[in-house]
Amino acid sequence: VAKTSLTSPPWPEVKLPDPVEEAKYHAEVVRKVNGLIAAGEYGRLFAVVHFASKQWKITSEDLIMMDNVLEAECGDRIRMEKVLLVGADDFTLIGRPLLGKDLVRVEATVIEKTESWPKVNMHFWRRHNFQRKKIIANPQTVLRINTIEIYPCLS
Amino acid sequence: FLQHFRGRKNRCYRLAVRSVRRAFVRSTKARREKKRFLRALWITRIEAASLEHGLKYPAFISNLVKSQVELNRKVLADLAIYEPKTFKSLAALAQRRRQEGFLAALGDGKEPEGIFSRIVHQHY
Repeated sequence: VAKTSLTSPPWPEVKLPDPVEEAKYHAEVVRKVNGLIAAGEYGRLFAVVHFASKQWKITSEDLIMMDNVLEAECGDRIRMEKVLLVGADDFTLIGRPLLGKDLVRVEATVIEKTESWPKVNMHFWRRHNFQRKKIIANPQTVLRINTIEIYPCLS
Repeated sequence: FLQHFRGRKNRCYRLAVRSVRRAFVRSTKARREKKRFLRALWITRIEAASLEHGLKYPAFISNLVKSQVELNRKVLADLAIYEPKTFKSLAALAQRRRQEGFLAALGDGKEPEGIFSRIVHQHY
């Protein structure tokens, strides 16, 4: 059959590596990472956590401020589940979409529960005698991330 | 509220009232625009970082979403700035998913059944 413009797809042809060799390589990498975690040879850990409908990139000794009210008192320890990503210098663990609770542990303490500065919400239409003014002060919470720990239970 | 304004607006009551009103209205509107502006900024940063690794932004984002990695653009931009190795691994993941998508779209590579010829001979 002759070659037309539609015989071959517009993207360059790619070949995937052999699945058996791939499985061996994957097992090797998992073993190495497990060994690193068990030996404790990582420096600072950072994590991406989904909290208060926002995603935060956090490390240890971090301050986080959110624009809402938490039902915990000041000084309460909080464990954050819903961890999306954990990384260190040599390796990262990417969750699909979340990582397991037995893999990562993120601890935080509630430090402050204040209100934001008074913001002015104003609407004004000229020549129409239309003016609305409202002062809004949102409640805010400040958290300090104490620790991020990982446990060597990959598979 | 208006100590830092220019000209007579910071001294005279009449002019000050008008300029303070306009400033309040503009700040309320800007608070809504800020979200759009920041998202566009994140998108340009992620695009630049993914081009450094040989991927375009739509391909990168679509492949990440298809491999069930739900990271938002703010975090992706922060990773691209402060954690280049992590961003490189994410780009490699997206590239691999893209290639698997291409192979899945091609299928077997055989001719479909029931067709006896694809070439039309023109007789003039």
